[in-house]
Amino acid sequence: MKLTNEEINRYARHLTLPEVGMAGQLKFKAAKILLIGAGGLGSPLGMYLGAAGIGKLGIVDFDVVDSSNLQRQIAHRVADVGRPKVESIKATILAGNPEIEVEIHDTRLSRDNVLELFNGYDLVVDGSDNFETRYLVNDAAFFTKKPLVYGSIFKFQGQITVFNPHEGGPCYRCLYASPPPAALVPS
Amino acid sequence: MLFDSLKMTFRDVKIQKDPDCELCGEHPTVTELIDYEAFCDIPMPSYEKEDIDEAAFSMDVQELEEILKSGKEVVLVDVRDPNEWDICHIDGAKLMPVGEFDKYIPELNPEDEILLYCYKGVRSMNALKKLHAEGFTKLKSVTGGIDRWAEIVDTSMPRY
Repeated sequence: MKLTNEEINRYARHLTLPEVGMAGQLKFKAAKILLIGAGGLGSPLGMYLGAAGIGKLGIVDFDVVDSSNLQRQIAHRVADVGRPKVESIKATILAGNPEIEVEIHDTRLSRDNVLELFNGYDLVVDGSDNFETRYLVNDAAFFTKKPLVYGSIFKFQGQITVFNPHEGGPCYRCLYASPPPAALVPS
Repeated sequence: MLFDSLKMTFRDVKIQKDPDCELCGEHPTVTELIDYEAFCDIPMPSYEKEDIDEAAFSMDVQELEEILKSGKEVVLVDVRDPNEWDICHIDGAKLMPVGEFDKYIPELNPEDEILLYCYKGVRSMNALKKLHAEGFTKLKSVTGGIDRWAEIVDTSMPRY
């Protein structure tokens, strides 16, 4: 795999960083990353990873853009209200970097589709907003042996970590063995 | 890593692998994907578990509109948070946030007919159960809450 002259221009500020360099940028280009959710976390994630030159970005979301999303889900714009979030974020990412591939999955993640979906990627990033999906993603990442980058927020607080139990680290269940009572979960 | 944007603090916490983890521990019990909706449907341990006939203690927003129009003496209680109250509320309601509901119970009279509402109807039913456990009986929770009210009764009210 090589970078085109156009790509060398585009990623010049990475290529001159010794910590990234040509070897790092080629790893970015070869990488296939799956984002769970195109919302508050998925928007900046998709935009930054796309701009940085990740070769293939997958995005799963079944929701459509609502005007109450716009205050934080910055991949979506006024004209996108009512449009599937995956289509809206794909357009935004490609507008910033048409050199990469964006594969969208306009579907609800479930037991029936998750394993096949994860198998097509190297790394999974969970930006979902409910506990059912958190546990589903954690378990599926374990069974498919994919490292899982975990991000979550509540009001003004955020948590971020990497779960990679096959490399000796913990998984989400090591941290939270069971979910909180359903009535306590904020929407 | 934990981030608190009000205090502007970042904190690193070391997470250990749990040898008893049901998925990645030494003796896993979760060996394939499970039913995650059932797994996450954990009931409340406290008073909210109290078994009452919720339907018998519910009213819809049209019934509420009729009662308020009729001029009948009722106590209308809004159990949402103050910042939600500031966005919109129903005229004549009293604000008694469910988070500190105990504090407000002495202000209520069991002789009165008490109608409770929140955003969607979940918190008001929880508050109702609390009052029921305290011996109140003339209670109704508004199904669908103020969001339903704004949708079909007072369409000029903002929705959030």
